[in-house]
Amino acid sequence: MIAHRNLGLVSAAATLLAAAPLSAIFERWTWLVQAVIAVAAVAAAAALARLGRTPTWAQILAMVGGLILALTWLFPSGDELLAVLPTPATFGHFAELIIGSGEDMRSRSVPVPDTDPLLFVTVLGVGAVAVLVDVLCVGLRRPALAGLPMLAIYSVPVAVHVESVPPVPFAIGAAGFLWLLVTDNVDRVRRFGRRFTGDGRDVDVWEASPLSAAGRRLAVVGLALAVLVPLAVPGMTAGLMSTLNSGAGAGFGGPGLGGSPGRVDLFAALSGRLNQSEVTDLLKVTTTEKEPFYLRFGVADDLRADGFRVRGPSGQRVTGDLPDPARRTLPGIERTRHRATVEVSRDLDMRLLPVYAEPVGFAELGNSWHYDPNLQVVFSNRENSRGRTYSFDYVRSVYTPQALRGAQPLPADLPLRAQQTVTPDVPEVAELVAELIRGKRTEYDKVRAIYDYFSEDNGFTYQLNTEQGTSGQQILDFLENKAGFCQQYAAALAWMVRNAGIPARVAFGFTNGNRRTGDTFTLTNRNLHAWTEVYFDQVGWVPFDATPTYGVPGSARSAWAPNTDAPEESTPQPGAADTPDESDPSAGPDRGPNRFEEGVDPGAIAGDGTPVRSTPVWPWFAALGVLAVLALLAVPALRRLALRRRRGRPAPTFRTVDAPDPDSTDTGQPVVVVGVDPDRARADAHAAWDELIDTLVDYRVRVDRTETPRSTAERLAGEPLRADAAAGTAVRLLCRAEERARYARDPLTGEPLPAALRTVRDALAGQADRRTRLMATVLPPSVLHRWRTAVADTSARLVASGGRLRYRLLRFSPRRLIANRTGR
Amino acid sequence: MTQQTWDEVGGLLPHDEFRAASDAIVANIEQVIEGKTATVRLALAVLLAEGHLLIEDVPGVGKTKLAKALARSIDCSVRRIQFTPDLLPSDVTGVSVYNQETHDFEFRPGAVFANLVVGDEINRASPKTQSALLECMEERQVTVDGVTYQLQTPFMVIATQNPIEMEGTYPLPEAQRDRFTARIAMGYPDPIAELAMLDGHGAVDPLAALQPVSDAETVRRLIGHVRQVHVADAVKEYAVDLVTATRESPDLRLGASPRCTLQMLRTARAVAALDGRDYVLPDDLQVLAVPVLAHRLIPTADAQLARRTTDAIIADLVHRLPLPHDRKRSPYDNRPSGGNGRAAFEPRRP
Repeated sequence: MIAHRNLGLVSAAATLLAAAPLSAIFERWTWLVQAVIAVAAVAAAAALARLGRTPTWAQILAMVGGLILALTWLFPSGDELLAVLPTPATFGHFAELIIGSGEDMRSRSVPVPDTDPLLFVTVLGVGAVAVLVDVLCVGLRRPALAGLPMLAIYSVPVAVHVESVPPVPFAIGAAGFLWLLVTDNVDRVRRFGRRFTGDGRDVDVWEASPLSAAGRRLAVVGLALAVLVPLAVPGMTAGLMSTLNSGAGAGFGGPGLGGSPGRVDLFAALSGRLNQSEVTDLLKVTTTEKEPFYLRFGVADDLRADGFRVRGPSGQRVTGDLPDPARRTLPGIERTRHRATVEVSRDLDMRLLPVYAEPVGFAELGNSWHYDPNLQVVFSNRENSRGRTYSFDYVRSVYTPQALRGAQPLPADLPLRAQQTVTPDVPEVAELVAELIRGKRTEYDKVRAIYDYFSEDNGFTYQLNTEQGTSGQQILDFLENKAGFCQQYAAALAWMVRNAGIPARVAFGFTNGNRRTGDTFTLTNRNLHAWTEVYFDQVGWVPFDATPTYGVPGSARSAWAPNTDAPEESTPQPGAADTPDESDPSAGPDRGPNRFEEGVDPGAIAGDGTPVRSTPVWPWFAALGVLAVLALLAVPALRRLALRRRRGRPAPTFRTVDAPDPDSTDTGQPVVVVGVDPDRARADAHAAWDELIDTLVDYRVRVDRTETPRSTAERLAGEPLRADAAAGTAVRLLCRAEERARYARDPLTGEPLPAALRTVRDALAGQADRRTRLMATVLPPSVLHRWRTAVADTSARLVASGGRLRYRLLRFSPRRLIANRTGR
Repeated sequence: MTQQTWDEVGGLLPHDEFRAASDAIVANIEQVIEGKTATVRLALAVLLAEGHLLIEDVPGVGKTKLAKALARSIDCSVRRIQFTPDLLPSDVTGVSVYNQETHDFEFRPGAVFANLVVGDEINRASPKTQSALLECMEERQVTVDGVTYQLQTPFMVIATQNPIEMEGTYPLPEAQRDRFTARIAMGYPDPIAELAMLDGHGAVDPLAALQPVSDAETVRRLIGHVRQVHVADAVKEYAVDLVTATRESPDLRLGASPRCTLQMLRTARAVAALDGRDYVLPDDLQVLAVPVLAHRLIPTADAQLARRTTDAIIADLVHRLPLPHDRKRSPYDNRPSGGNGRAAFEPRRP
């Protein structure tokens, strides 16, 4: 019974896991909550039915009933009894929902918002699968077949999505299926009787098998490695942390990244690319425009509590007619038509194409590319930008401040305004905005007031190494620290403009870079950029770049959004670059503020065009490393030398201090009698013998614990030192001294032991081959061997004490308590 | 007959005196037994260790000759018992006979009442007769008809026997074997020694011409000297380790007794003294291990089936037993101790 209940619960959980791929369809997670409720109702009904030992068909009926109750409660028509009991009206409502879902499916593209018809169909499907899985697993005991309905769930997103669905949800579903199989098999084995180990002990219900324990440990270690290793490698940190900060999302530019263009987290990708240590050419653009504004490819306009998010684009094919803004003419807005050709390198791989704002016609692009007129981005669900070359016509709009001042506030009920001014509630930001726009009457003046706020006068600086997120908390941090890079400036400006009730969004793209040959700009990952776009009534989206120009090579300013840091208004020409040739941001931005502190003219540095580099430090580090390695290698040899020297010294003299001799003629100094102390002689003999043994080890002569000193000496004198009679005598002398020191009443005294030791050592060295001699000097085996032994001893002790500790702690293990209570 | 106590005998002799006395005995015996210096010295060591000697070998290698030569070299009372299958215990210990004149029983001392008792072919007598030696060998006394008679000092039984595989032999009981301090094998002489023997023994029996070079009194003083030889704690420890190893060896059914430990250490003292040292080395124990231990032990059936003799088992034990960590560190020595006493280091050999 317990097993049945267990299996039923597992099958319910497995069904929910198998439903994970549905997350690719919906924008939100409402469906999951409702599916959980429905599956829980099914599982509860099944468990109740089994409690009454009903046959399988009755269980199916109970489950279907549970599902209907759950659906009735979740999707009420208003005519229910007690809110859960369906009436005919309820079923009519269900039929309407099903019909409505068909319309929704036709009219909407993924990801879809939460609509009742779609949710109803989803919950109904998941619930039906739960019923089937339960019947197959518990009723028919065929869990393998349960994979079929689970696969049916998976087929839904596959059919709906143009692209393949991401692999993670599939892995989750597969894990659920495997879990089901494993549970069923364990259950099957249990039916044979009690489980027991090989030595006949019963296996505790709660006892983990060694295999699973090992698996858990492996998993923990793997997880720790997966988290810690990227943190340890500097280049990987930024990408990982920004992914954590701004939720899911793959970066752009990485090869082989799937997913629709909408789900790319451009912020994470941007900071990751900017932080890359090497510079790669991403694209070349040739345009007929003299001073073009930024090339753009993405927009983030979905502002939530955790920051700006990218919304999935939707739109028409680029081969069709694109809206031409040149038809809308307004006084003060000058529109010119240009043509540009973009050549994307193999290193830029994404489902968006970089284009200038407001393209009106494309060439050399197939049917699979679409243009979103609202976001003004070109995207594809199938193809990517890698290695692609294309040209397009576009309209460049140049606005005068007067024209923008003329723009009226948008009506509050306009969907665009409602949607694009959504801001999370951060009172500090709201207060700041209110203060900045106080007294400003036109929309443009408000925007300018906020835009001007991000100036050097207010202490804002460019700094690449900051938190990269754009959530409310991070905006506050940025406004507090006043240091950041394009991502924060763009997001903060957009956030604050939205707070002022004006639609704003963050655009992504490339600056004009600092490598220009004629009309061709070569753009690298360092030229990636983000800026703000503000919507003005009748005018459209107007770009504002609040990032300090010194941090952005090839940045452009315009008449309506001049450089706030420049001492005076720059030329009214759009796209006039204040700092046409900026140094490499990797060296520049971090040092930017310091330059001013040091009193160096920034223009002078920026003007010479060569990045300022400090003298390279790596040779010092390398030398230091080599030295450290050498020092480390020398440790054993030094230890051996110290040991030898200490043993070569005679033991401290034993001094007897007598009372002053009254007969002595001197001044009554205590008489120091230095005698040959037996203990001292004994110590000397031992030291000499220890040294001899260590020398033998060093020169790879066998040392045997079972040998007496005499037999050792005889062996040495016989074999290795046969040729050297003096050494033979010396080794015998050492042996005699050691023997006497160990076993006799009186030790041997007055013998030149150190000299004998030297003789033996020289003789052994003369016999050994060159390699042995070298090793004996550089890495003496005696020292290494002793260390090895010490390490082994210590680790054995640690393991033993760890085992004891674990055994003591196991007494308090809840598993053991539960196991005892079950009385097995 | 009054004997000196060991205190009266005195302690260590001057080095030269001991050397001269012991060398004289060895040299004298070597006139008869050529080329067997180690065996002869071991026999003398057993005498000085107040033990008993069992000489075991095949017939005709000079067992009896060694026993008689040792006996003749020392001017003391010597008795010989030829153990035959019909020998009776009373022939060994003595018997009370009725004296017609005094109308009383009178004790006639047996063959054991002497300083040196040569028991020839001891395993040809029945176990009953062999057992008569038990008391006298260990306790140096004989009890007959309720009267206990002390034996003289030195007292030593030198027994010869053929290996038990030979025909017409009774194996010695374990208790009896344990009372023999050492068992030595003569072994065949080497060809040169055998040639010399042919020359020397061809015309006249050298044994007959052998003159004593020492007396009981001297031997007592030599024994007194041996008793004073220093044994360091480490050596005692090593002896105990060795004996314990025989008790724990999987190849042995019966290990060595504590009596054996005592006798081994005593003999080691004698060997050290004969070597001119006043302290015992572990080497002495290693030399003695096979003679002192091997005849007391009983191998397991498995070991017997594998044809492993006790000699081989003992030699193997000695080879594997590490020396005890035998340092009394000097209080003035703060220098680190070396690899000795640690795990054995075996260098890689190319």
